[in-house]
Formats: sequence, structure tokens, C-alpha cells
Amino acid sequence: MMAKWRKIWSLSLKEFIHLRSDWWLPVFMLFGGALELLLVGWATSRPITNLPLMILDHDRSAASRSFVVSLENTATFNLEEPVYDVAVIEDALRLGEINAAVIIPPDFSSELSSPAGRPIVAVLLNGAESIPATAALRAIEGVTREMGEQILVQRLGLQAEEFEGFIPSLRVWFNESLVEALYTIPAELGLMLEFTVLLFAALSFTRERELGTLENLLVMPFSTLDLVIGKSIPVIMVGFLDFILMLGITHWAFGVPMRGSLALLLVLALVYILVELSKGLMISVMAKTQHQAFLLVMMVGLSDFMFTGYAAPVESMPRVIQWVANFIPAHHFLEIVRGILLKGAGMEVLWPHVLALTILGLFIGGFSMRFVRRSLS
Amino acid sequence: MIAERSTIVSENLTKCFGEFTAVDDVSFDVHPGEIFGFLGPNGSGKTTTIRMMLGLLTPTSGDVRVLDVPVLEQPEAIRGRVGYMSQRFSLYNDLTVFQNLRFYGTAYGLSNEGLKQRIDRALQMAGLEGRENVRTHELSGGWRQRLALGAAILHEPEVLFLDEPTAGVDPLSRREFWELLYQLVADGVTVFVTTHYMDEAEHCHRLALLQKGQIIATGSPDDLRDQGMHGQVLEIVSSDSARATKVLRAAKMEGRLPLESVELYGSLVHVIAEGVESLQDALALELMRSEIESGRMAVIEPSLEDVFIAYMRD
Repeated sequence: MMAKWRKIWSLSLKEFIHLRSDWWLPVFMLFGGALELLLVGWATSRPITNLPLMILDHDRSAASRSFVVSLENTATFNLEEPVYDVAVIEDALRLGEINAAVIIPPDFSSELSSPAGRPIVAVLLNGAESIPATAALRAIEGVTREMGEQILVQRLGLQAEEFEGFIPSLRVWFNESLVEALYTIPAELGLMLEFTVLLFAALSFTRERELGTLENLLVMPFSTLDLVIGKSIPVIMVGFLDFILMLGITHWAFGVPMRGSLALLLVLALVYILVELSKGLMISVMAKTQHQAFLLVMMVGLSDFMFTGYAAPVESMPRVIQWVANFIPAHHFLEIVRGILLKGAGMEVLWPHVLALTILGLFIGGFSMRFVRRSLS
Repeated sequence: MIAERSTIVSENLTKCFGEFTAVDDVSFDVHPGEIFGFLGPNGSGKTTTIRMMLGLLTPTSGDVRVLDVPVLEQPEAIRGRVGYMSQRFSLYNDLTVFQNLRFYGTAYGLSNEGLKQRIDRALQMAGLEGRENVRTHELSGGWRQRLALGAAILHEPEVLFLDEPTAGVDPLSRREFWELLYQLVADGVTVFVTTHYMDEAEHCHRLALLQKGQIIATGSPDDLRDQGMHGQVLEIVSSDSARATKVLRAAKMEGRLPLESVELYGSLVHVIAEGVESLQDALALELMRSEIESGRMAVIEPSLEDVFIAYMRD
């Protein structure tokens, strides 16, 4: 028994030596994910602000100026120098220099003050960049709604404090300030873990095949299981280290809370690593070259990316995709990560995802072992 | 002679890849303690045969036994008892000499003092003492080849399989490599080696000549010479050997000269025929008619290359 493990360990040790001389691979695995996390975290952890906005004010009245000041006060916009020609706005939009422009007609203040007036402003948005455009629209709508209410109150002859309007009473759970980063960063964490494990596992046998050393490995007194275990140990160790490192970054650098059990999260991360490892090993015996293996990893990883809820929440996707998501391990792992980190959920809440992850894992792992065994012998 | 138990027995071994038959009904046996060579051009099925003998490839039909183990049923039973050097360099370039040897040794179950002794011996054999910590990719071809051999015999295998072990290695290193093989055979190891170098094949105790997946002859280099050659070899020095070959072949085709074969050998022409010595004048005349001057003519010992070509023509 000892001798068997010594044999297997000699294989793992060899893999670690490869890592040391192929230094870019561990650097990518340990720091690529972390770096990506830092960049994405910083980029998405702030609300959209300082969108360049152009104003063409034909009215130039106290009312129009107060409207412009209100827009500026939202902090969504950064006002450009005032312009006096529509052509300037058109050029700026075409060149992508601004995200939005507001044109105030000459009759703005008179329409505003006359009892049956209909004050109008024209809003031009750069729809090519849809996310800033949506943010700009929302901000402008907010300002105009407020102005609309003021006009209404004025025309009804009411005092401001007499009008309450309709106000939903907001109370946000789990992510009190609705910081987008708290949603995207855990997704990024799961995604980077998947890529790291998949890539490392996928290269394991492919590299030996490409170098021509696989034949020798197969002639040595290793069973297929020995080979798989020996090759997997470094992947699991590096994957787990990577996860802990990235978890630390999400917590200390981005303030993602840790409300649930850390031990539970670590155990389930290990389960998830094993599932992705199985997929990677399958790729590893399928691909003829490291190049092919890399492309396959990208393909699998990028399609799983859809289901992590990183780009868009799975709940808002079409029914078919929601159904498919049930078969994607990354989807369940992400539910688990968000559940434990943000909601402090335990097994009593997470068990359907844990069960699904385990069943998928057993299925993928079993299939992978059979597949690897068949292609290696 | 008392029949010894053969170390390797191959019976009607056949491997088809789709329509293509890579190895076609190959039968041979290798005796204990001999160097048995597979000689054939590239694509004649040498590597495919070796891979089947090691259990890396399942034959389409036929059977192979190595050290009395049926390889098809129990490939793992021979793992610890055979050594293998594949065609491509089989060690890890980014590992040091020592790391490579340690990996091989540990994989074969060696440890501690035993492992250390074997590594020292392998280093000594390969002449790499003092260079243990050199990365393998920094070694030149000949050194790497000897290190690969050292790794392949670290666990003291009973049979050694070598697939074109000296391809791309300089002649001096090749000679040294073969000296190492003779030492191993002296220690009782049986060696199965494939090659397409004629000079290397001369070193083997017995040979099988391979062509398009079939064995066309088996025997010692001397036996093959005796059996395969119909006639003697005449070496001709001429002013234009390339044209001389064409002219003599035409004479053979038209039936004007009773020749077995005519081959160009660098700047020389080899003519093979029964009683070739008496044909010298006729040959000179034939060449003179085409305005080719012929110089020295001599009957020589046939090289293995002559033999091989003679067999391939039959």
C-alpha cells in the first residue's frame, strides 16, 4: 500500500516540477484569476457616474437652468461645455464622445408656467452603448418625474407638504445597498475557479501526448486509476489554494460578507473542484494537442459562464435555458456561493443545489473515469 | 539442439487501421539473451508491432507472449519486467537528469538505498556522473539517448524494447550506444530493437526483414546473405554511375545480359548476377557503347543493404 502511494506521489511530484519550469501556468492559475477578480471587482463595484452629457439650451431661462442643475446633481452626468448647435451634438454622438444629450426648446419655461402648458425636452441617447444609455435614461426620467410632480402640485394649488404621492417602502435584503459587485464578484470567483481547474486538468495528459512521453507512462507499472490520481492531486491542491486566495480577495478587498459557514463553503468548493476536474480530464484525453485542449476549455468555460448569472440573472433567461441550467455544475455552485456568502444560508436551504451538484458530480465523474480508462488503454 | 523457451513469441500478429493493414500476419520468436532486430523502411510496421508487444495497442488478430505472459490478456503483468525506449525522446526535458531517473525508479517501486544505488549505476553507465542537476534539454542527442537507456533499464528489466533508439544520433554516439547494449546482453537481458540503419542491423544476432507489414525473411545477418542473394555482387567504378545504372538496367530488361539486379551505390554501381565475375567484359562493352568509361571492377561481400534490396525484389 505504501509503495503504491509512493508511486502515485512520484507522479504528482513530477507534475509540480513541470509547474515550476512552466512558470506561466501556475502564475496564470494563482494570479490570473485573482487579477481578473480585482479588475472586474473595481470596474463593477461602483455605480455608473460621470457620463458625458451635452446640453443645448434654446430657452436659457431660470427654469431651464434649474432643470440642468437637477441633472448635474444626480452625479450620473458630467456636463460638457454648453453648445449652441444641434450639429455639434450629432457629431459628438457619432464620434462616441458623449452618451447622452438634452435639447431644451425655446418655449420650455413658458409651457412650464402656463396652466395648460406641455413642457417638452428632447433626449438623445447613444444606444450603441446600451448600459450607459439605460443609466442615463433612468437618471433623466428621475429628474423629469420629480419636476412633473412639482408642476402637478403647483397647478393643483396645493402646498408641497400636502402631497405625498405614491412611495414604495424599500427594504433590501442580503445586499442592503444593492452594490452590483456583491452579485458579480462571487460569480467571477466561481468562473475563475472553473477555468483554473479545467485548464490545468485538461493539460495533464495532453501535454504528455504532445511530448511523446505518454507511451512511456502507459508502459510503466501504473494502473489507469494510479495515473488519474497522480495527475489529479496537483490540480486539486492548486485549485483549492486558488479558491482560498480568491475568497480572501472578495472578502478583504471588496467587502463581500461571509455570513454562512466557511467550513461548509470549503467542503462544497472541494466537491465542485472534483466535478470540474472530471470534465478537464475528459478534455485531456480527447484533445490531441495542448492547443486543442485550450480551445475546448474555452468553449466549455464560456458556455458555463452563461449559467453563473454573471452576465444576466438566470431567473430572467428563457425557460429552456433555466431548465438547462439545472445540468450545469457551475450554476449550482454559484447558488451555493451566493447563498453562503450573502444570505448566510446553511444546508437546510442549500440542499437542493448540493444534491444536484453531487448527483451531477457522480455522473460526470463516473463517465469521465470510464472515458479516460478507455482512451488510455 | 535443445529448444529453449522463447522470450517473445508472436503468432500471426495482424493490425488493420480501417482498410490499411499495418502489420500483416507477422510471426517470429526471440530467444533469451539475444539482440533481435526488426529491419525495414519507415512505415513497414515496426513501431506498430512493438506497441502490440507492449500491450499499448490491441491487435486485430493473432497473439503475442512476452516472458510467457499473454500480453493481450494481462498487459500489466509484464510492466515491471520490460523496459521500453520509444522512438521519440521518452524523458522529460524540463526535469533534471536526477529528477528523471528518480521518477522512473520510484514509478517502478524502488526507494531509498536501492533507488540511490540504481541511479548511481545508471549515471555511471550513461557517463553522466556529476551532471545530475543538469536539465535534460541541455544535453546533446547522444547523451540524452544514453540517459533514456539508463532510465529504461533502471528497474533491471528482463526484456528491453527499443524503437529506433539511435535515430538522429551521430555515428560515434551510435557506436557507444551499441556497446552499452552488448554489455546488457552479456548480463542476460534480451533486446528487441527496430532500425532502418543497415550498419546497425549488422550488430543484431538475428533479424527479421520487414516490408509493407510483412516479414519477408528471418535469420542471422550471415544466413540472410547466404539465402537471399542469387549470385554475387560486382562493384563497378565508372565515369557516370547514374547513367551506367540506367544503361545496365535497360540491358537486363532487354535480356542482353543475364543480370539479377543493378543498383546505384553513391558513386558506385552494384551489379548482382550468378557468376558475375565472367560477365566483366560484357559489362564493360555495354557501358562503352553508351560512351561510359568503366574503371575497376571487383566482386565484393554483399552488404546487408544488397541483401535487403534482393529480398525486396523477390
